[in-house]
Amino acid sequence: MTDTEIFETVKQNVLKVLPDLRPGDVTTEGTLTDLGANSVDRADVVTMSMEDLGLTVPVSEFQEVHDIRSLVDLLARHA
Amino acid sequence: MNVGIEALNVYCGLAQIPVPELFEGRGLDAERLGNLMMRNRSVGLPFEDPVTNAVNAARPIAAGEDRIEILITSTESGLDYSKSVASYVHEYLGLPRSCRVVEVKQACYAATAAVQLAAAYVASGVSPGAKALVIATDVALVDERAAYAEPAMGAGAAAVLISDRPRVLDLDLGAFGNHSYETMDSARPGPTFDIADSDRSLFAYLDCLTSCLAGYRSRVEDADFATTFDHLAMHTPFAGMVKAAHRKLMRESGGGTASIEEDFERRVLPSLAYPRRVGNLCSGSVYLALASLIDHAALDGPARVGLYSYGSGCSSEFFSGLVDEESASTLAGMRIGEHLDGRCELGFDEYAALLPDTLTCLVPERDRQVDVGAYEHLLSRARFDRDLLVNTGTKDYHRTYEWLAP
Repeated sequence: MTDTEIFETVKQNVLKVLPDLRPGDVTTEGTLTDLGANSVDRADVVTMSMEDLGLTVPVSEFQEVHDIRSLVDLLARHA
Repeated sequence: MNVGIEALNVYCGLAQIPVPELFEGRGLDAERLGNLMMRNRSVGLPFEDPVTNAVNAARPIAAGEDRIEILITSTESGLDYSKSVASYVHEYLGLPRSCRVVEVKQACYAATAAVQLAAAYVASGVSPGAKALVIATDVALVDERAAYAEPAMGAGAAAVLISDRPRVLDLDLGAFGNHSYETMDSARPGPTFDIADSDRSLFAYLDCLTSCLAGYRSRVEDADFATTFDHLAMHTPFAGMVKAAHRKLMRESGGGTASIEEDFERRVLPSLAYPRRVGNLCSGSVYLALASLIDHAALDGPARVGLYSYGSGCSSEFFSGLVDEESASTLAGMRIGEHLDGRCELGFDEYAALLPDTLTCLVPERDRQVDVGAYEHLLSRARFDRDLLVNTGTKDYHRTYEWLAP
């Protein structure tokens, strides 16, 4: 599974959770908070992405996630 | 043998503040109101503490009971390292001296642990006809430092009478799932403040719910989140959290996403009516949600309720039971909606002026006097029709109480 595939999965889930965004708004440089995601939305994006990718990541590890790039990196480490 | 909740009542204080008023007073972003889904939060007054909340919740269901053999208080608002809140509650409820008295702690989960242990005791038959009274009681220790958690915190108590006459909730004995592990998502390191990592807590709540359900399914063949339970009542840190949890579990159970909102409104929303008006009642929260469900769902036959309790730190449980028309008629006698309507509505300045006293109500002081009369301007705006216990201070570290007439 490539980083690009993981990013695309995260991006699709961001767009599902925040349907007002345009696809181009979601980039690896941005943060979920900047895109308007509250803590519940962030949890949704993370859990939906884990499900889609078939991954289980211990919840404690999400503490280090501060932007979309680090979320993709974390998921990639467990892929 | 049927075992479960014979009687249930909640007491959520004498005052409340509308959440939009608190948002405005603190300068919080009003756009986040929608996510919280909170309308009001109960606010403790300086003469209310974990003892008064517990006694005021339990008195209507303990009156006249002579078979209560176990009294358990569950609290994260302890008053002493050694002496339990239950010891005072035992006295002011006038419970028999033959009663076991104990306090338990595991953040917002402890009351459910107590309920399950008590139910197992009743079911064991070691003392036929015995009852256990479990009271979850807490106060809020939040101010502007808590940011968006401040509008979500409630105060009060939920009292649950466990017996072999389960008129309110007939527990599905043996049907449960647990999940626990050490994490520092929220804590109360001292008697005047909480610390919380809200994202860590949110993930732990969701993670535990999924794991608890897996545990439940390992004990109950063919159980399914989407179809087994007619209704759901869950620990409610804020109502929006429960909505997110429901969404997650529906996705995991393979339910179509189109129907999730309809399912939420039908199976979950009735359980949030009271929590949205009270705030997080800590370990009483899931029982406030259950009371809300029974008072607001149209129960025209036996219905299975799935209950979820989560306590930071963390430990959690998913379990279930049956409710029916008798649950509704029994609970209606407690007039919980009327109690919530009767709370005095505070303006932001009134609320802020109370905080210095309410935030220190757990601090041990050798001698302290609380002048209940000084709050007459608030009391006169609250409606209540029975005697309520109030804290009048401490004398040589011993807490003192009086009854306040309507």
